Amino acid sequence: MDYFPTLATRVSLALLLVLFLGAIGVYPSTAGADPPQLEKPKGERCIRDTNWMRHNHMDLLKHNRSLTVREGKRIRSESLLQCAGCHPNRDRFCDRCHGYVAVAPDCFECHIYPE
Amino acid sequence: MTMDRRSVLGLGGMLAAGVLLAPGLRLVAAPEEATEASDKRRWAMLIDTNQCDPSCTSCMKACRVENNVPLFGDPKRDIHWIRKVELRPKDGKGPDRSLPMLCNHCENPPCVHVCPTQASFIRKDGLVLIDMHRCIGCRYCMIACPYKARSLVYNEPPESASHNRKVPRRAMGVVEKCTFCVHRLDEGGQPACVEACSNEGKGGMLFGDVNDPNSAISQKLHQVLSTTIRPDLGLKPRVHYQGI
Repeated sequence: MDYFPTLATRVSLALLLVLFLGAIGVYPSTAGADPPQLEKPKGERCIRDTNWMRHNHMDLLKHNRSLTVREGKRIRSESLLQCAGCHPNRDRFCDRCHGYVAVAPDCFECHIYPE
Repeated sequence: MTMDRRSVLGLGGMLAAGVLLAPGLRLVAAPEEATEASDKRRWAMLIDTNQCDPSCTSCMKACRVENNVPLFGDPKRDIHWIRKVELRPKDGKGPDRSLPMLCNHCENPPCVHVCPTQASFIRKDGLVLIDMHRCIGCRYCMIACPYKARSLVYNEPPESASHNRKVPRRAMGVVEKCTFCVHRLDEGGQPACVEACSNEGKGGMLFGDVNDPNSAISQKLHQVLSTTIRPDLGLKPRVHYQGI
């Protein structure tokens, strides 16, 4: 038997949807939590697209880390040591954003960021 | 504009020459962008104990500086990637020997077999390494190793201004050991201890690829009488000793 929702159900569902969408639009990010201003990089361009890096740099680092340690594959331009060529200050680049999004990667417990 | 047969042929020839030469030229010009461990290589070391002066510790010092190996000042907790060991013959005959002991990078490494997280592993070129990102510090490997080559980082490593940035420090709670200076090998260099021994010591350490029959170490291993420490265990160590 086919399912035909009654008019009342359809109206209430539509109302719920409108309320939900409204809720997303109505409540923007809380005041004072604007994205942090990161230090402008020195070089001409990043090893990947900037937007891609913003979302996926951790995967790139982790992937390369395993390849380097276990397979001995060392890609000079993609080494963590090379990041510092364009982003010389870790506090004003890496840590500023990590602090904002409240993640605590422990890369630099051991790896020494070049200055 | 039309081109005669001769110039068309000439252009074709130039193009072919360019195609043939260009990759070669680029290989020569650019520094090596990517390196990878090769399964055709087998790194090994030959230590001539006749050349090893008991008072010389240049290999140990060079290792500490190169690999950021900290000293805590507590003999129970101190980390050693390479140690000097005194050998005394059981029967009292023959002279005492002093020799450096380091990870033997065994072909059948017991440390790798017991590792529950596969943090210890054998790389393609035979090096026995630890993936610090996976090590949980359980110390099974330290118990399994008959050469006492491994140390646990018991304390937070001290902050120091002079770090070698090419080698990461190790966090508290992981096990560490000699890597044969893998970061140097991948760049075509020699381990720091071997370099220090030839510069400051008497040059008793020889390092190279035993799979290459023309390498200095392959040839010397065929010429001289050498042994390994505890060959009876069947681990096939890759650090060979001459003169014991």
